[in-house]
Amino acid sequence: MSDTSLISRRQELPLKGGNTSLFLQVIISIAVFIFAITLSGVLSINAMLSNWNQSILGSLTVQIMPVNDSNREKAQTETLAHQEKTLEFLKNVNGVIKATPLKDEQLQQLIQPWLGDGIDLINLPMPRIIDVKIASNAEIDFTQLAQDLTAVSPYASLDNHKLWLNKLIKFADGLKALAMTILILVTAITSGAIFYTTQMNLGLHSAIIEILHTMGAKDTYIAQQYARRMGFLGLIGGLLGLLCAIPTIFFIASLAKQIEGGIISEANLNINDWFIIFSLPLFSMAISMFTAYHTVKKTLRKML
Amino acid sequence: MITQARGNTNIIEMQNVGIRYGQGPEILSDIRLALPKGSFHFLTGKSGAGKTSLLSMMYLAQKPSRGTVSVFGKDINFTHRDNLAMLRRRIGVVFQDFRLLDHLSAFDNVALPLRVCGMDEREIRKRVNELLSWVELDRHILDTTATLSGGEKQRIAIARAVINRPDLLLADEPTGNVDNDIAPKLMKLFVELNKLGTTVVIATHSEKLINDFAFPRLHLQNRGLRIYYPSDSSLMEKYHV
Ligand SMILES: Nc1ncnc2c1ncn2[C@@H]1O[C@H](COP(=O)(O)OP(=O)(O)OP(=O)(O)O)[C@@H](O)[C@H]1O
Ligand SMILES: [Mg+2]
Repeated sequence: MSDTSLISRRQELPLKGGNTSLFLQVIISIAVFIFAITLSGVLSINAMLSNWNQSILGSLTVQIMPVNDSNREKAQTETLAHQEKTLEFLKNVNGVIKATPLKDEQLQQLIQPWLGDGIDLINLPMPRIIDVKIASNAEIDFTQLAQDLTAVSPYASLDNHKLWLNKLIKFADGLKALAMTILILVTAITSGAIFYTTQMNLGLHSAIIEILHTMGAKDTYIAQQYARRMGFLGLIGGLLGLLCAIPTIFFIASLAKQIEGGIISEANLNINDWFIIFSLPLFSMAISMFTAYHTVKKTLRKML
Repeated sequence: MITQARGNTNIIEMQNVGIRYGQGPEILSDIRLALPKGSFHFLTGKSGAGKTSLLSMMYLAQKPSRGTVSVFGKDINFTHRDNLAMLRRRIGVVFQDFRLLDHLSAFDNVALPLRVCGMDEREIRKRVNELLSWVELDRHILDTTATLSGGEKQRIAIARAVINRPDLLLADEPTGNVDNDIAPKLMKLFVELNKLGTTVVIATHSEKLINDFAFPRLHLQNRGLRIYYPSDSSLMEKYHV
């Protein structure tokens, strides 16, 4: 008797090959490609943000510019009055734990490297500095704070670097939200494509499915065959997409480095980030399987 | 009385069953029917009388437009999908148009009912090879059924229907395409299964078949169903008429 184990085919539903498979594979590859690049963007932004946030959190510095007056005594008093006003205001800002003006000695220490010892501050148009401690969970809008400060005293201003960093953080947050939207959209579109091709395919093979049902096949039996096939397409498509995405990510990273080494160097992906990116084909496989399985279950429920 | 005398329930029961397709007229009306366990019936009627339609309710491919159909004691209007699947596993069907999966080999076609219920592959191989050689198709085990002749396809279809020793066997013109010498052999297979307890319904146009095997006959006419019992007195007794 011939050995049926060798040649016997188990593919009751001829899901292999055909234009639909190719179409889905291309769709999934492109989706994973876009997903991987966008995701690497999100992860880099996250890395930058956590660096920036660390440097912006905790404390900030408010500067009181010296009042200009030929009468040094008067100028000094007025500057101090502005400092008082600013202090009063700062203490009432939400999230501010403590606001301490630097003492004369401290200021002297600060300028000592440039101007040497024994400087009388009264004779110098020296800015005064207030050190502000901020609660770690405080959500302070620095741009707003800067505006408020100027309103309180035209001589008061927020540390420039922090302000700039804060704007950058806001921008990065916006970018991140945009990227997340893209990730969700790409996932949704891919699931949609899998949903419709699966449904179409079920219609195409309705005669076979009817026969399988007559033989006593449960919907799960059919759904599993679709899930297996779509999972395979998801994995292969995912690997292809990833294969194209990796060099692209490095290319973008090298471009970014040329622009501004300082900031972007903080945007390096760490090992965890790469792990996530490399697991994308598994993710696309899981999505494909899940979508196909439930599409079949849902569609077949309408049959007898 | 009949069923109680046999101490069994009916495998199939129909009450006030009507079938229509879409908004068309009823092609069968007020069908009332009870097939006891272990019975053997022919199903006759002109072409278009509704034989295939009646069978398709029995193999749970169609619900009645009205009335109730019970298969193995379960009202199919109120049975969950998954339970319908479990009932179908106890039913073997030979379709008028075979309905083989033409991209698969003869082997895989016959193995289908066993694989669907998750049988061990080794056991499947044993059973399928055995049955295929019994229907004289061992030469074609690995051929896709698309390449087979009508009669060969029909034998595959029959093999597929009986491979899992069904409790209910429904055959729609099962001997229409096979040679005269193999037809009696296939009928013998059905009779043997019947002796082992399988309830059998065979739709046929062949008067010869009906006369050779004196089984009661369900006849469809004017949208209704009548039962004729064979004139043979011993058989009359057998069927409690
Ligand atoms: N799916 C369907 N849609 C619409 N009408 C149908 C359908 N199936 C059968 N019919 C109609 O129902 C009637 C009975 O058909 P059925 O196939 O049950 O007859 P049959 O007795 O099996 O005929 P035959 O001996 O030729 O196989 C016919 O008039 C047919 O046109
Ligand atoms: Mg018919």
